[in-house]
Amino acid sequence: METAIQLTNVSKAFGKFKAVDNLSLNVPRGAMFGLLGPNGAGKTTSIRMIMNITAPDTGAIRILGNPMDRAMQNRIGYLPEERGLYRKMKVIDHLYFLAAIKEVGREEAKKRIADWLDKMELGPWLNKKVDELSKGMQQKIQFIATIVHDPDILILDEPFSGLDPINVALMRDYFLEFRQRGKTIVFCTHVLEQAEKLCDEITLMARSRKILEGSIKELKHRYSQDLLRISMDASLEEVRALSGVATVKAVDGTFVVGLNPGTDRREFLRRTLERYRIDAFSQKEPELEEIYLDAVKSAGIEDRVIE
Amino acid sequence: MNWKKTFAVVRREYIERVRTKAFWIATLLIPILFLGYVAIQVALSRKTSGQRELVVVDLTGKLYKPLAAELADTEAKQKKEASGSKGPHWNLVERPLTGDLDGTKEALRKEVLAKKISGYLILEPAKLEKESIEYYSTTVSDYIALSQLQSAMNRIWLRQKMAARGLPADLAAELEHRLDLKPFKVTEKGASEEKGAGIIAAIVFLILMYSTFFMYGYQVMRGVIEEKSNRIVEIIVASVRPVELMVGKIVGIGLVGLTQYLVWSLVAMNLSLPAFAGMMSGGDLGVPRIPVSMLGYFILFFILGYFLYASVYTMIAAPFNTDQEAQQLAMIPMVMIVGGIAVYPAVMNNPTGGMALFFSLFPFTASLIMFLRTAVSEPPVWQILLCVAILISTTAALAWFAGRIYRVGILMYGKKPTIPEIIRWARYSPGKVVQPEVKQAG
Repeated sequence: METAIQLTNVSKAFGKFKAVDNLSLNVPRGAMFGLLGPNGAGKTTSIRMIMNITAPDTGAIRILGNPMDRAMQNRIGYLPEERGLYRKMKVIDHLYFLAAIKEVGREEAKKRIADWLDKMELGPWLNKKVDELSKGMQQKIQFIATIVHDPDILILDEPFSGLDPINVALMRDYFLEFRQRGKTIVFCTHVLEQAEKLCDEITLMARSRKILEGSIKELKHRYSQDLLRISMDASLEEVRALSGVATVKAVDGTFVVGLNPGTDRREFLRRTLERYRIDAFSQKEPELEEIYLDAVKSAGIEDRVIE
Repeated sequence: MNWKKTFAVVRREYIERVRTKAFWIATLLIPILFLGYVAIQVALSRKTSGQRELVVVDLTGKLYKPLAAELADTEAKQKKEASGSKGPHWNLVERPLTGDLDGTKEALRKEVLAKKISGYLILEPAKLEKESIEYYSTTVSDYIALSQLQSAMNRIWLRQKMAARGLPADLAAELEHRLDLKPFKVTEKGASEEKGAGIIAAIVFLILMYSTFFMYGYQVMRGVIEEKSNRIVEIIVASVRPVELMVGKIVGIGLVGLTQYLVWSLVAMNLSLPAFAGMMSGGDLGVPRIPVSMLGYFILFFILGYFLYASVYTMIAAPFNTDQEAQQLAMIPMVMIVGGIAVYPAVMNNPTGGMALFFSLFPFTASLIMFLRTAVSEPPVWQILLCVAILISTTAALAWFAGRIYRVGILMYGKKPTIPEIIRWARYSPGKVVQPEVKQAG
């Protein structure tokens, strides 16, 4: 598959602090790609390098098959986590300015801005100062600014932070629509549930490193092998004492049992049935969060907790 | 540098600033305040031309009449010279002693306080021998009137002394003429008489340059901080390089400054400032004719100095998130600019001396001091060129350093960084801009 963004062994240090450590990733064209991880994992630095805001110390970055340069920069729309607007500027002038620095001609910009303002019902606010807009409206303006140059790739860093549920739904619709037009979206967040709903592929980062990658479906499948939900007449201690059990949690009168890697599920159930009565059992599909925590644990960097 | 993007930044900085009410208020208020100041001066000088009731207690018995004649004569002469009457008009009244001198003085004091008379003069033979005359009034600071009275008395005193020694009266008239020292400024093109107007214009321009360095340097600082505190900077640097943003901002604000100068000079030309100045200075000083060369040097050194200080202000602003945090470091350019103005009187006294040379080549005072030197003397061309070269290279070095701090600083939020941290930023590797070629299949 053609790649939209490709990072090869990219590292970046600020003084002694290594912000990104040997990161490689491939974002396929047309994908909804999640770059996930807790705050301070190196997501924003990675994105800044993709955006050519900071340059990597080592490694290579290619955008749409080309080395990153200014022309490529104009083909990406970037909504940073730290985002704001000039408060004293008129909405329309502000959008013209942000279009101009993406080298969108005045006429073209006029048309697109008018379209979007119409779509978002912001027309009456055209000549108001940014100051006078509500926070939700300001975020819509920022979104228009992100896509005014009709980019091929959209990079969104915590796009839903500070939005109310209605606007979250609205934004999500725009993203999906964008994707339907064959564009690539990189979605960057520490809220894993959001990513789980939106993304097809993810890369998990922690402590400046990549610790997990793959499509959500495949990851869930991979991790669900070892996870069982069992309803049985035993105490927590008894379940824990069974051979092959790595973790056990009591949830709503049932047990969620994690098996040691390599333990055969049928064998485990057979052995358990000999000693206890099993009322029901099912294979449990893991939450992305559980996968994440597990991956962090096995990477030996668990002291950083997801918020 | 992508000039199209840089221009978009320049345009935004310029238009957004020129559009504000604050800009127009400042632009129009300053000339209005200046004209108001001139008008007050004119009004005050009119006031000195009022009537003055002066009582003379002449204990010598032979000074009152000549004094009255002399003052009338002075006034007539002045009327002939300048079209409008300028000096005060004296109404003299002789008052004999009533009782003793102290009693007379007391009576007169009451009259002064009751505003019946403006003042009184005591001419006592004993005091005259000690070369003093006593003048009493509620206002003893009105310089023009006092000096008129004093010189009239001196002339009469001289004449009477000479008459007493039997010298001819026309000799007294001859001795009254004083020699005038006329300064001529020698330049490459010859010598031209310097009437002081050039020097006043130079000082006015110097103060103007000094205050605009502050005003616009500070605006650059505010602009940089505003972009950080608004959290817009990252949106912008995703499209524009930090150096383009920095240059665009500095140029845009500099153009605002030049626009302000342009408005001021239009106001000065149209509101007939010369007429005002003429009224005020009373003819002899003349309308300050501002030489074209002075204007040229002014623009040149304003631009050079502005870029230098703007780089310093950018450097100071980049690491911080609020004006308050930057305030402490903002003292640095302030001290530099004030330094330039602090040494100007010394430079003016000796514009070709070693000190003048030093400060006109020291980068942080050079723009102000070299401008002053070109206005009041004719520094050698090599010194001017050297000064320009020093300013340009210092600005380039500062801008480079500022650019490095800016690049890192604008993306740093959170706690206020320490100075060693800021210096460390400048050493961060900017990374390889040229990336290794990766063979791409398909």
